[in-house]
Amino acid sequence: MEKAAPFRDRATYALDVQLASLASAGDDAAFTSLVTRFQPAVFRWSLTFASDPDEAEDITQEVFVRVHRQIGNYRSDGLLEAWLYRITRRTASQLRRKRGRRGRLALSPAARPDREVYTTDPGGRVDRQRAADIIRELFAELPRRQREIFDLVDLQGLSPGEVAERTGMRPVSVRANLFKARKAIRDGLLATHPAYGELST
Amino acid sequence: MNCRECLEELATGSLRELTAESAVSRHAANCPDCGPLLTQLRDREYQAATVLNNLPPMSDPIVMADSAGRLARRRRMGGVVVTLMSIALGITIWFAADTMISDFGHSQFGDNLRTETISLSCLTPEQAGEVISPYVRSHGSSYYVGPPGVPAITVRATPTELSQVRTLLNDFDKGRHASCHTDMATTFRQLDRQLQELQKLQPVLAGMKPNPAKPKPQTSKPANPDDK
Repeated sequence: MEKAAPFRDRATYALDVQLASLASAGDDAAFTSLVTRFQPAVFRWSLTFASDPDEAEDITQEVFVRVHRQIGNYRSDGLLEAWLYRITRRTASQLRRKRGRRGRLALSPAARPDREVYTTDPGGRVDRQRAADIIRELFAELPRRQREIFDLVDLQGLSPGEVAERTGMRPVSVRANLFKARKAIRDGLLATHPAYGELST
Repeated sequence: MNCRECLEELATGSLRELTAESAVSRHAANCPDCGPLLTQLRDREYQAATVLNNLPPMSDPIVMADSAGRLARRRRMGGVVVTLMSIALGITIWFAADTMISDFGHSQFGDNLRTETISLSCLTPEQAGEVISPYVRSHGSSYYVGPPGVPAITVRATPTELSQVRTLLNDFDKGRHASCHTDMATTFRQLDRQLQELQKLQPVLAGMKPNPAKPKPQTSKPANPDDK
C-alpha cells in the first residue's frame, strides 16, 4: 500500500509556502499549481467523509473554493497539507449537515450527477463502484470520528501520533476510537469463528 | 496462544504491524479456523486500502482550479452585495422609523435635551407655561414653574423647541406688544383715535347728512400730555 507522501522536506515545504503566497496575491497560475498538487490528496481525504466518490468530488471542489477565499489566512509556520486537511474535514462536515440525511447520494441514484467518466471510461466506472461498495461496507455504520481514524491509520498508513497531530485529538482518544472502529469493522468476520462465542462472553 | 487470545488480538490489533514472527501469525499458521480468518481480514483491508488509495479524482485539476476561482470570486462579490444591501436596509429602516414614529431614537439620546431657565418680566410663570406648552411636545420635554413669587420658567426641551420657546417669550413677555409694557401715552393715543372715528359716525347715527365743509369742532381735547 502506498503511503500518502508527507511533505516534510524543506524544499517541498518552501514550494508550498511560495505557492500559497503567490495564490493569496491573486496569481491564478500558482493557484492552479496548488490545486494540481493537492487535488489527489484532498480527494482521498474526502473519500473518508463521503458516501461515495461522487460526493467526494463535490467535497473536493468545495474545498478548493474555500481555499481560494481563505488562502490569505494560511500561516506558513504549519504544513500546508495539514491546513488543507482541516479545511477538508470542516467542509465535509458542513456539507453533510447541509444535505441533512446521511448517505443520501449513495441511496438515491436519481440524485447522482451525470458524470462523464461513466460513459467514457468503463474501467473508471468499475473502480468507483468498488470504492463506493467498500465505503458502504466498511464505513456505513461507523461514527464519523471512528471512520476517519480507521481510514487514516489502517488504510492510509499514518501512525496514531500523526493522526492525533492532524486531527487535533489526544493520542489516547485516537487509540480508543481506533480500537472501537476495528472491532466494529471486523466483528462480522470474527463471528464466523467457532471460538467467537467464548470471546463475547 | 489459543484461538480465544488470537481472536482478541485480531479484534482490535493492527494487521499492518503483524509480522510473520508474531504469536498471532504463528498460531494462525497452524490453526485451521484462525488461519483463513486472518487471511480474510487482511485481504479485505488490503483491498479497501488499494482501491481507495489508488482511485484518481475524476475532475481535471485545471478545470477545477478555474471553476473554484470563479465560484470564490462570485461568492466574494455576493458577500459584498449582501453587506451593502444589509447596510442600505438598516439605513432605510432607521429613516422610516424616524419619520413614522414620533421621537424615535430621542429616548436613546437623552443628552439631546437641554434645560434652560428663562426669566419673565411680564407674564406669570403659569401664563408662560400655557403659551409655550403646545411647542414643548417631544419625548422627555417639559417645563417647570418655580415657587410662587419667582418670575421665571425652566424649560427642558430639544434645541429646536428651546429656540421656539425663546422666540415666543420674547414676543409675549419682553416684546413691545407685551401687555405690561404698554405705557399710558400709547393707551391714550389709541383711545383718542377710537373717539375720532366715533365722532365721524355720529351724524350718520343721528340721521343727518354730515357737512364735510364745516366740520364740527372737536368736543374733547387730546389727553395726551405730549400734544400739549
